[in-house]
Amino acid sequence: MTSDEKLIKMFSESTIEVSLPNKLGYERVAMACSATFAKIVGFLPERIEDLKTAVSEACLNAMEHGNLNRSDRSVLVRMNYSDHVFIVSVMDQGEGMKETPEIPDDLDIDKKIEALEIPRGIGMFLIKQLVDQVEFNQLTNEGHMVRMLLRLEG
Amino acid sequence: MNQETEINLEQQGDIAIFDVKGDVTALSGPFFTKAYQTANDQGACKILMKFTEDAYINSGGIAIIIQILAQTKRNNQQICITGLSNHFQKIFNMVGITKFARIYNTVEDALRDLS
Repeated sequence: MTSDEKLIKMFSESTIEVSLPNKLGYERVAMACSATFAKIVGFLPERIEDLKTAVSEACLNAMEHGNLNRSDRSVLVRMNYSDHVFIVSVMDQGEGMKETPEIPDDLDIDKKIEALEIPRGIGMFLIKQLVDQVEFNQLTNEGHMVRMLLRLEG
Repeated sequence: MNQETEINLEQQGDIAIFDVKGDVTALSGPFFTKAYQTANDQGACKILMKFTEDAYINSGGIAIIIQILAQTKRNNQQICITGLSNHFQKIFNMVGITKFARIYNTVEDALRDLS
């Protein structure tokens, strides 16, 4: 990161951007930032916890699967709140998935228990469960993006 | 940035208590594996996982916990969980962990039920 780049940018009252180094653990910065922003705009503590977990999981996926754990890459988290809708976009510098996976409504834990191997797909499952709307595998000019939406009344 | 996992193992009769502190992430695997192996070596047939209410638990950590559940099921051991915040009680229920491990609000409740 050059000296004129900042980790957190506030574009307006309604938009904040956080640029994270591609290092596990730094997702906590995005969690804290989104939690503070959501609190300011009036989200209840329970929904803020949902938001924090969803942001954490999206950042982890971006670092590990999108950016392939490469330290020369970064993750950009953009948060916007307007008209009672909180949108978080998490962007990595990967190429996305060839096909968007079908995320089940229920996690088949019996299968994971029987398999005796490291269970996968928990992060995407949690995101889908915890936010009101999610779009995985979006390709933009800024890279691969996951876009999550939470409604204030939700 | 991450706070390393620390698991102190306490034995109460045939119950092994995993006192889990710090973050529970994909990096926590060796700590849980070591605690589980030690508990097994000591002959524990019941396990209580005790977390702290402010714990940071992510999907990598949940995957590690599911692996421990798989081993306890294979070895016919009873396992339960305490200390979680309401949010993580909800998360554990969502992913189905509660099908294999009961969640209690307090250590005392869990020990009473396990005894």
